[in-house]
Amino acid sequence: MLDANIRKILMQVRDEAADEGIRATFHLHHEKSHLMRIGNNSVSLNTSEDLMRLDVEVTDGRKQGSQTYLGTIKEAETIREILGEAREKARVASPKTYDPIPDEVELTVSEDSQYDPMLADMDPSLKAAAYREIFKKLGEQYNYSGSWSSGSMEVYILTTANRNEVYHKGTDQLFSIVLKHPQAKWELTHNQTGWRPSDFAVEKTIDALNKLIPVFENNKGYKAEPGEYTVIFGADAISEIISMMAYTGLSGRGWEEKQSWTSRFKPGEMILGEEISVVDDPSNPETFMFGFDMCGRKRNIFPLVADGTLRNLMYDSSTAARYGKNPTGHDTGSPSIVMDTGFGQEDPLDAVRDMGRVLYIPGLHYVNIPSVSKGIFTGSSRFNAVLVEDGKIVSPVFSSRVTDSFQNVLGNVKVVSSVSESVNISNTYERRTPVAMSVPSYFVSEGVKITDSADSF
Amino acid sequence: MAESVEVKKEISRNISRISSEGASYVDVRFYLDDSSETILLYDGDLEANDTTVESGIGVRVLWDGAWGFAATSDLSGLGVCFDKAAMNARTASELVKVPLAMGVKDPVKGNYTSPVEIDPFSVSLRDKLGFLTRLDADLKEDFILKRIVYTNFQKRRIHFWNSEGSEISKDLIGVFGMIMVMSLDSDGEMQKRSMSLYSRGDGSTGWGMITDPELFSGHSTRIKSELAELIKAEPLEFGRRSVILLPGQGHLQVHETIGHPLELDRILGYELSYAGGSFIDLDSFGKLRYGSDKLSVSSYGGIANSPGSFGFDDDGTPERDYLLIDRGLLVNALTSRAMVNEANERAGREVFQQSGGAARASSFYRAPIDRMTNVNILPGTDGNEEDIIASTEDGIVVDNPVSWSIGSNREHFHFGCEIAWEVKNGEKTRILRNPTYQGHTLEFYGSLSAVGDESTWKVEQINNCGKGEPNQVMQIGHGVPVIKFDDVVTGERK
Repeated sequence: MLDANIRKILMQVRDEAADEGIRATFHLHHEKSHLMRIGNNSVSLNTSEDLMRLDVEVTDGRKQGSQTYLGTIKEAETIREILGEAREKARVASPKTYDPIPDEVELTVSEDSQYDPMLADMDPSLKAAAYREIFKKLGEQYNYSGSWSSGSMEVYILTTANRNEVYHKGTDQLFSIVLKHPQAKWELTHNQTGWRPSDFAVEKTIDALNKLIPVFENNKGYKAEPGEYTVIFGADAISEIISMMAYTGLSGRGWEEKQSWTSRFKPGEMILGEEISVVDDPSNPETFMFGFDMCGRKRNIFPLVADGTLRNLMYDSSTAARYGKNPTGHDTGSPSIVMDTGFGQEDPLDAVRDMGRVLYIPGLHYVNIPSVSKGIFTGSSRFNAVLVEDGKIVSPVFSSRVTDSFQNVLGNVKVVSSVSESVNISNTYERRTPVAMSVPSYFVSEGVKITDSADSF
Repeated sequence: MAESVEVKKEISRNISRISSEGASYVDVRFYLDDSSETILLYDGDLEANDTTVESGIGVRVLWDGAWGFAATSDLSGLGVCFDKAAMNARTASELVKVPLAMGVKDPVKGNYTSPVEIDPFSVSLRDKLGFLTRLDADLKEDFILKRIVYTNFQKRRIHFWNSEGSEISKDLIGVFGMIMVMSLDSDGEMQKRSMSLYSRGDGSTGWGMITDPELFSGHSTRIKSELAELIKAEPLEFGRRSVILLPGQGHLQVHETIGHPLELDRILGYELSYAGGSFIDLDSFGKLRYGSDKLSVSSYGGIANSPGSFGFDDDGTPERDYLLIDRGLLVNALTSRAMVNEANERAGREVFQQSGGAARASSFYRAPIDRMTNVNILPGTDGNEEDIIASTEDGIVVDNPVSWSIGSNREHFHFGCEIAWEVKNGEKTRILRNPTYQGHTLEFYGSLSAVGDESTWKVEQINNCGKGEPNQVMQIGHGVPVIKFDDVVTGERK
C-alpha cells in the first residue's frame, strides 16, 4: 500500500507548486498485479508486478503539458523533477483555441469499499489448485488454457486548486478458462469476476461447462448461412454491444463533431428500442465503483438512455471546454455502465421456447466498427455458441459473423433477462484499471444480420 | 535510472544465485530508459503533449519446466524481485503437463543500435511543434471539418543478461506519424482520409522521417483532394469482384491473416483465452498451400529501418531473415526458443530447426511472448500499380483501414477501408465510399493473382498490436507491395 511518506511528499510538492501559482494535477497510481496463464493444461506463466506511476499535468493559461514517470518515487526531489518537466512542456506548448477547465478535487474522498487484502495478496498456488480441479473434473482429454488476473490498485489525486485529496484502493480479479477439443477444435469458456476471493467458486465453472460439453461432443457444427436470425445474446456479447454503442454514440465529442451515429438525434429523442435503458452508475457494486473521475470530480448516477430515449451524453473535461459544456465526470478509465434488466425468465431457453430456430451467441469476438456514423458493428461468434430449436439446444454453431447496426439489434429486442450479470471488461494494456459492466444475463433480438460463417469453430 | 557497475554486479550475483538454487534458465531485462513522447494536434489544438518515462527490471525464471516472472521499478528491491520470479516459477511448476525448455545455446554477446540520423529526443519541443503546426496548416480547407496530426517517438535503452552468459545491449528508436482529414458526405456520414508514416526499409529512422515529404509530410494535398472526391462519392455496392490492396491496407491484411496465425504460441494454444488460436497446426508446415504461387512471405526480411528490427529478441536470439511462405507453401512460423522446443517435442520430429528470434516483450514489466518482427510479402513481377489495374476487368483499389475484425482462429476476416477506386476494364473510373471486403484466409490468398514489383513495396508501421495476458502493445513493420485478389466478397448485403 502507499506509504505515508509518498502522500506526504506529494502534498509537500503540491503546496510548493500552489505557492508558485502553478496549475497542476498530481495523479499517483500504484498497482500490485498477479497473473497466472494456463496453456496446454499447464501453468505457462506466473507473473507479479509492483509498479508505481506518477502523472503530472501542468496548465499554463491555454497551454498544457504532461509528464508520466514509472520508476522509484521516494523523494520530493523526484516529484519536483517530474513537475519541472511537465511545466516546461506546458511553457513551450502552443495555446489551445479554448480555455481548459481546471482540474479540481471537489471534496476529500477516501474509498476502499471494494478492497479485500486476501485478494490483494492471493496465493498463486490457490489458482493452480483450482485449475487442477477443473481439469480433473471435466476430463484430462481436453486442452485447457486460460488466465487468472488478480491484484490491487491505488489512485491518489491532488490538484493545486486546493488541498483536497482523493484516494481509492480496490482489488479485482478476472478468471477465465478455455476448454478445447484437441481434434474437433470446438472451444468452450467460462469467466468469473469480482473483488473478493469469495467471488470465485470453482464449482460454478465446472457446472457451467459440464452442461455444454455433451452438446458439443454429440452434435456436429451448424453453419448459419447469411441472413436474418433471431439471436439470444449472452452477457458477454451484450457488454460488447453496449460498450461499443456507448463509445460510438454516447460520447459528447462524437456527438458534437457529427462523427457519431447519434449525431442526428437530440437528447429526448428515441435512438433505440424502448426495452433499452443504460446508465452510468458508480454506485453499482457489479461494476468497479469509482466515486470520482481522474480530474477529481465527484461521479453520480448519470442516465444515458432511458426506455430507448437519449437522455445525456458523456463529456470529458477537454470536450466540455471545447464546446462550452459542463464536464460530466467522465474523465475516467472506469465507467460503470449498467444496462437495466427486464422481465424475461431466468433461463434464456425458456424465453425462446415459442420462437422456433434461434442462435444463442453468448459472446462476440473481435468487435469493430466499420461505420461510426451509421453505428454499424461487426464481430463473430466463438465460445459456447449453439443453435436452439423450440427452447432446446440442438447443436453447436460454427464461427458466424454478425454485421449489423446498434439501432437494429438494440431496436428489435423482444425479451430482456430479469437477472443481471457482472462482466469484467478490464483493459490490461497499460496500468491496472478494473472496469466492469452490469448487464442482463441475455436478451433476445430479432432480425439480426449474419453476414458470413466458417466451416469450423 | 543510472546504470551503475554495482547494479550490474548485483544482477549477475542474483542470476547465479537463482540458477544455483535450481532454476534451469534465468534472464533479466534492465530498461535504463523507456521513453515515449506523444504530440497530437486536433484541429490545430495541442491535445496531447505528453512524455512517459519508465525504468525498471523484469526477471524471468524457468523452473522444472515452468515460467515465473516478476518486475519492479524499485531497484532497491532487486533481490526480492528475483526471489519473487523464482517463487512464481516454483508455484507454476506444481501444475505442468507440458514442461517448457529453452534448449542449450551458446552465450550471445552483442549490441544493436537503431540506425538514427536525428534522434527525435534531441529535437526541441518548440521545433517539433513548429513543424507539426505547419503540417496542420497544410491540411486546412473550408470543406474539411476535422484535422489530426499525430506523432509518437520512442526510445529504449535495454540491457539483457541470461544464465547462459549472454549479455546484449540495445538502443532502439521508433518514430510513428499520422495525418488525417475528415468531412461529412451527402448522407451526413463522416468520411476520412489519412496517411501514416512509412519507410522503404532502408535509410535511418528518427526525426528525419517526419520531415521527409515522401515518407510522411508531403501527402497533405493528396489526402485533401481524395477526401473532396470521397464525400461526393457513391457507396460501394455489394458484389464479388477483384480487390487491389495498396500497402496502406495490405499491411494490415498481412498482419492479421498471415502474421498472427503464424505465431507459434497461438498455434500451440497459448493464446486461446484472449487473442485466440490459429487454423494452422504443426502438420501444416511443408504441406499446406497458404496461397497462390505468387505468395512468398518473409520474417524480418533484412529490413534495417523498421519497428520490427531490433537486433536480438528477448530470448537473446539474433534476428533472422527467413521465409514463412515460399511460393504459396507454408514452410515456417514466428517462433521463440521455448515454443520451438515444445513444437518439436509434441510433433515428435524437427518441425522447426531453430528459433526465429520472435520473443518480444513490450516493456520491462511484461514477459516475452511470440510476436511478429517484420512480416513481409516479397515483391513480385506483375509491374506497378498501373500495370495491375490495367490487368483488372472489374474490381476496386482500396487503401487504409477503418475497421478490422478477424475470426478467433484467423480463418475469416472483415475489413472496412477509407476509400475505394472502382476499376472497370483496366481503368480507374471513380471513387467509392464505405468500402468493405470479407473472406476466408486460405481461399483469399489462393486468389492472389498479382503482386507488384519493388517500386510498389513499402514498409508500413504498426504501433499498436495488442496480444498476450497481461496485454502487450507492440511495434511491428510490414513490407508489402501492391497485391490483387480475385472474386472477393465486397460491400455489405442489403
